[in-house]
Amino acid sequence: MTAVGLPVLVRLHLISRRVPATVIALVACGAVLRGALEWHWVKGSGNAALQFPTLFEAGTAAAIAVTTYGPFGEPERATGRWLPWLRLGTALLLTGVAIAVLAAGAAAANLPGGTLALARNVAGATGIGLLAAAVVGGALAWIGPMTYVVVAEVALSQSWTSPWTWPARPPHDRGAAICAAAVFVAGITITAVRGCRDSLSD
Amino acid sequence: MSVLIMPATAPLLRIELRRNAMLWVLPVAIGLFYYHAYRHVMVGPALWNERAMSLQNDTLLDFVAPVTGAAAWTGWRESRRAVTEMLTSTARPRWARHLATWAASTCWAMAGYVACVGVVYAITARQVAWGGPLWWPAVVGAAGIPVLSAFGFAAGVLFPSRFTTPLVVVIAFAALLVSDHPGGNSRAAWALSPLVAGSAAVGADPNVAIFYHYLPDLPIAQVMFLAGLTMVLLGAIGLPATSGGWRLRTGAAALAAAGLAAAGTAVGLAGTARLDAHGMTVIPALHDAASDQPIRYTPACGGSPVQICLHPLYAADLAVVISAVEPVLSQVAGLPGAPARLSQALPEFVPGQGSAPPANPSEFALTGVPGAADDAGALAANAAFTIGRDVLGVTQGPPASGSPAQQAVLSALLTGSPSSQLSGLASQLVPPGSPAAAAARRFAALPAAARHRWLVQHIAALRDGGVTLAQLP
Repeated sequence: MTAVGLPVLVRLHLISRRVPATVIALVACGAVLRGALEWHWVKGSGNAALQFPTLFEAGTAAAIAVTTYGPFGEPERATGRWLPWLRLGTALLLTGVAIAVLAAGAAAANLPGGTLALARNVAGATGIGLLAAAVVGGALAWIGPMTYVVVAEVALSQSWTSPWTWPARPPHDRGAAICAAAVFVAGITITAVRGCRDSLSD
Repeated sequence: MSVLIMPATAPLLRIELRRNAMLWVLPVAIGLFYYHAYRHVMVGPALWNERAMSLQNDTLLDFVAPVTGAAAWTGWRESRRAVTEMLTSTARPRWARHLATWAASTCWAMAGYVACVGVVYAITARQVAWGGPLWWPAVVGAAGIPVLSAFGFAAGVLFPSRFTTPLVVVIAFAALLVSDHPGGNSRAAWALSPLVAGSAAVGADPNVAIFYHYLPDLPIAQVMFLAGLTMVLLGAIGLPATSGGWRLRTGAAALAAAGLAAAGTAVGLAGTARLDAHGMTVIPALHDAASDQPIRYTPACGGSPVQICLHPLYAADLAVVISAVEPVLSQVAGLPGAPARLSQALPEFVPGQGSAPPANPSEFALTGVPGAADDAGALAANAAFTIGRDVLGVTQGPPASGSPAQQAVLSALLTGSPSSQLSGLASQLVPPGSPAAAAARRFAALPAAARHRWLVQHIAALRDGGVTLAQLP
C-alpha cells in the first residue's frame, strides 16, 4: 500500500460506511441535546434530569453501530489486510466525534453528570451497538443500544446501583467505568476482527 | 377500492403477516415489558385503578423502541432491497401495498400489547378483592400502538436510510419522555399523551374507581388525538407521486385532512378540561353527568355500640378499625355530638392544596392500601380522637383549649386504648405529675360503665367548663 493509496482507501471506506451522514446525525443529536438542556424539556432533578442525555447518548451509539453495515458483504473480507484497521479506526473516530459533539452541545448547559459520565455512557452504549452488529448484522445493530436505553431509563427512574446500568451511576464510579470500558473494548475488538454479521441477502 | 381488489388484498396481508419483522422484535418488547412495566405494576397493591393507570404509564415506554424501530425497518424495506421499481409494475398501487404492510406490523404489535396487558389484568382479577377491570387506560395504550408503528413506518417510507430507524426510535422515545412530564396544568395539550392517566396536579388518586367512577373524558380525547395522528401519518405515505394515481392520492390527502381535524378537535377539547371535586379531568363536551354519581356498594359493617362501616374493598381492615375506635366511641356513645354510626368516606379534594378530611363528624377518611392494618388503625384512631375531643368540647390546638377537667377526661378516655397513637396522645394532653394527670388516672381507673354514666350526667357542665378537677370521680 503506497502513501498515496492509503488515504484513498480510507476515504472510500468512510464513504462506503456513510460516515459523513453519520457525522451529520451525531451533530444533530448534539444540537437537540443542547435544546433539551437549554429549554428544560424534561422537568425534574437528580436521575430524572439524566433521562434525556441518556437517550441521546444511546442514539449516537445506534448511529455509530449502523455504520458497521457494509454494502459489499462477504466478498469485502477477501480484499486485503487493511480491513480490520479500517473498521477499528472508523469506530474509534466516530465514538470520539460523538463524545465531542455531545460535550460541545452540553457545554455550559449544566449537563447532569458532566463530560466524564457522558464519555462513559457513549462508549458503553457504542460497545453494545458494536456487539449487536456482530450478532444481528450492521443494519439491525440499532436494536442493541435502543433496548439498552429502555433498561437504562428504568435504572435511572428506580436508582439502580448495578455497574452494568452505568448511566444511573455517578460520574466517578469505578465499577461502572470498568463495565462500560469492557463492553466498549469487547465490541470494538470483535467488529474490528470479524466485522458485522453478513446476512445471506448481502 | 372496488370489491374486486379486496380479495386480492387479503393474500397480500397474509404474506405480510407471515414475513413481518415485527414478529422478530416482539420477544424484545415482551422482555422489556416484563423487566419494567410488569415488575413495577406487580409491586403495587392489587387495585384495579393502581395497576391499570400504572400500566398505561409504563407499557408504551417498553414498546416504543421495538415497535417504532421494526416499523421503520419495514418501511424502507423496498429501498433497502432495491426493488421499488420492480414492485411499481405490480397490480397493487404503492400506497395499498404500504397500508397492507403497516397493517401487518400493527397487528403483531397489537397482539403483543394485548397479550402483555391481558396477563396483568388476568393476574389482577384473581387478586383483587372488589371491583371490575378498568378498561380505559388499556384502550388508550392500545390506541398508542398504531401511532408508533405508523410513525416509524412513514419515516422509513419517506426517508429511506440506514439512519432512519435509530433516529425515529430516539425521536419517538423523546416525545414520550417529554409528554410524561406535562406539568401541573390539566388543560395543557400534553394531557393528550397516551402516558397520561390523570391530571399531574393530583397524580393517581387512590380513590378513583373505588368510591367514584373513572371518568372517560380524558381517555376519549386521547384516543381521538391518537387516531387522528395515525390517519395523518398514513395519509402522508400516500401523498408522493409514486404512491398511485391522482384519485388514490386525493383519498390519501383526505385521510390526512380528516386525521388533522380529529387531532385538532382533541386538542381543542383538552383545552376546555377542568378538574372535578375528586381531582379527575372533566371535558364538558364529552362529559356524562351519570359518571358524577358515586359508585354504589354494600358496606362492610361491624362493631357495637357504635357501628363502623367500611367500603367492601377495605373489609379486611374492619377488625383493626373497630379495635382502634371502639374503646373511645363506646364511652361517648349517646352523648350529644357523638355519632351513632361511623362510616368511611372520601377526603375532600381542594384544588392546589390536596386533600382535607370529611367535614361530617360521622365520617372518616380511610384511604391507601386496603389490608394495610397499621395505616387503617392509625387513621381510625385519629378519627376517634377527633370525635372524643369534639364531644367533650376541647377545641383543636395548639394549644388545645379546654378546662383541665376536660383535658383530664379526654386523656382518661384515650388511656388504655390498644392504639399506641391514642395512648401517646393521652400522655401529651396532661403534663406528667400534674393534678390533671392524677385526675385522669382516677377517672381512667373507673369501670367503663361508670365512666359513661358520669359523662351522661355531667356532659353539659363539662363542656361549659363548670367541672373542676376535684369534682372528677
